[in-house]
Amino acid sequence: MIELIEVTKRFGRETAVDAISLRIERGELCALVGTSGCGKSTTLRMINRLIEHSEGEVHLEGRQVREFDEQVLRRRIGYVIQSTGLFPHWTVARNIGLVPRLLKWPRAKVEARVEELMTLLGLPQEQFAGKYPHQLSGGQAQRVGVARALAADPDILLMDEPFGALDPITRESLQLELRDLQSRLHKTIVFVTHDMDEALALADRLVVMRAGRIVQQGTPLELLRDPVDDFVASLLGGNDRGLKETTLLRVGERMQPLSPRLLPQARVHRDATLRQALAVMFREHADRLAVVDDDEMAVGELSLRRLVGARRDE
Amino acid sequence: MHRDVSTPNRVLLALTLVAVAAWLLLPLASLAPNRIVPGTPLHAHEAFGWAGALAALTGLFGLAALAWRPSARRLWLALALAMLLLMGLPAWLALAAALTIDPSQPQARMGLGAAFWLLLFCLALMVIELRSRLALGAVAGWLLGALVLAAWWLATPWLEPLALWREYQGRSDQFAGAVVDHLLLVGGAVGASLVLGTGIALAMRRHTGVERIGFTVLNFLQTIPSLALFGLLLAPLAWLSANVGWVHALGIRGIGWAPAFLALLGYSLLPMVRNTFVALSGVDPGVLESARGMGMSRGQVFWQVRLPLALPVVLEGVRITTVQAIGLTAVAALIGAGGLGTFIFQGLGQAAMDLVLLGALPILAMALAADSLLGALTRRLDPRLASGASA
Ligand SMILES: Nc1ncnc2c1ncn2[C@@H]1O[C@H](COP(=O)(O)OP(=O)(O)OP(=O)(O)O)[C@@H](O)[C@H]1O
Ligand SMILES: [Mg+2]
Repeated sequence: MIELIEVTKRFGRETAVDAISLRIERGELCALVGTSGCGKSTTLRMINRLIEHSEGEVHLEGRQVREFDEQVLRRRIGYVIQSTGLFPHWTVARNIGLVPRLLKWPRAKVEARVEELMTLLGLPQEQFAGKYPHQLSGGQAQRVGVARALAADPDILLMDEPFGALDPITRESLQLELRDLQSRLHKTIVFVTHDMDEALALADRLVVMRAGRIVQQGTPLELLRDPVDDFVASLLGGNDRGLKETTLLRVGERMQPLSPRLLPQARVHRDATLRQALAVMFREHADRLAVVDDDEMAVGELSLRRLVGARRDE
Repeated sequence: MHRDVSTPNRVLLALTLVAVAAWLLLPLASLAPNRIVPGTPLHAHEAFGWAGALAALTGLFGLAALAWRPSARRLWLALALAMLLLMGLPAWLALAAALTIDPSQPQARMGLGAAFWLLLFCLALMVIELRSRLALGAVAGWLLGALVLAAWWLATPWLEPLALWREYQGRSDQFAGAVVDHLLLVGGAVGASLVLGTGIALAMRRHTGVERIGFTVLNFLQTIPSLALFGLLLAPLAWLSANVGWVHALGIRGIGWAPAFLALLGYSLLPMVRNTFVALSGVDPGVLESARGMGMSRGQVFWQVRLPLALPVVLEGVRITTVQAIGLTAVAALIGAGGLGTFIFQGLGQAAMDLVLLGALPILAMALAADSLLGALTRRLDPRLASGASA
């Protein structure tokens, strides 16, 4: 668990972070969003003390981060940055094994752990272990960056725009992998991003910052539905907000029981998002879909009126 | 293959053309009855007759033929042929000496002519070109160089009348001493400037004030002409030597190795400090941030990340400094510092060009060797270049 209490950071006269309070529960993925220069990276770095905060308290598992030895603290926290920060003169395997070696794990254990992580992140050992970072694609390099951050199995992961430099397709596949990893590993993750769709797709909780302050925080749905002001609303996509909401909801949540009417031809899976259902309707020129399960058995139906959440279906 | 698409290797052909022209038109050597009298030029056709001179071109024409439609096999043959010609180059001098110098004149001597230098130059370039065409590594390059030097060394018994060889034989002990002195001065100055320069660069990184003053002073030092710097050091060192016991005991005088060493150190510091400073400052901040973020200590970040990543650029500074110091040490002979420059200035004083060569050629060889060795080391240390070559 991470807790920031009235934390302020000043660089000279300039206040980069202004008395923010934030509580991130164990196993939660919290995304920090906001315009450039609003203090997201600064907030992140105050957690692993790459930047010392000026005022307030930063707690980690109930202890102030100031009480930890700097190095001990950082070895317990995974850190991933946009430029990967991989050591160009070290092989992939050596890069990944960095923190375990700093922690003086026995050599065999380090090697086994590196192998495990490379498998976990889809980097075949025989193909990648001996490569140098400059021989990797952007996506592969960032996978190595994530593997390195996870190496010593830290409870906490800090990620500063980790996928910001990747092309949209690679970015999306890494997002999916991260979500998959998170559903298995349950790390506490603080995630900075510029990409609102990324934040909505990954975050359990969204924190919107502006000029060093937290403007609003909550679940993605809460923020999409009730932005506190125009700034948050426009940051979340203005009128596109409705469409973004459809990506967060599943067909299963909105479908209605099968009616005696003829089942429509067009179908959609119960775990698909409302957005996907909308796309099927649009493509098939249908205002009613059959909802199916894994075995293609109809389990319900979804009308356009239900999809958009109209109060009553006639 | 019935349809050979390879085009002529223009580099080899052009070099062959130059070599052939040089052989036919320029003097291969010069002959002088003794050390004082300037020599008269000796062309290849004067020494061997036109028939002999033309016959001697067979090897070069062979090279041109191989370069006309180069396949891998032909390039290997061309390399073998060019190496043979290069290794055999002194044979022509020995033959010319045997044919033209009267044994009753023990003082008669032979100087090297323009054709000889051009042939040497062209053949060396051909070997370099072929080495890169055949993608031979640095080790192969050094092996080829060593082979040539060995062949030339084996030829020395027949090069008795060569003026360069005569000058060497008259001073073989002195020569060895001069080489050692030269290397010691260069090594000492470069070594000391590396240690001192790294210290200064580190101090500059810590304090911006030091940075500004440091570069100003070093830039100023660099602009003083070398002779003037030696002169400027003369008086204070002489005074110190005369008045301070331990300075005198160390062998420090107003002239000799001490001012030379100090001047060399002064000149070496700027390139060394500049490269080291730039190297240490130029390390990717993202890499350093993640190193700290992973929990490395300051020392670990410096020794395991910053320094290794800076090393190729630091070594580049060592390379520049070494090559520069090898040349400057020659000038230091003027103030009695010893070294190979001694021969150059003696030779200039006596108008004996071959004595000048005796000093200049080893300096050239040293500079080339230092340049290629340190260059190769730099490439090895840079993973982007080292592994890029094998991948
Ligand atoms: N080391 C520093 N020294 C001085 N000012 C700094 C430093 N680091 C950050 N700042 C300032 O603090 C403010 C917040 O910076 P921060 O890097 O946290 O922004 P950010 O939200 O991460 O922006 P971006 O989205 O562009 O990465 C900026 O105005 C920046 O100029
Ligand atoms: Mg940032």
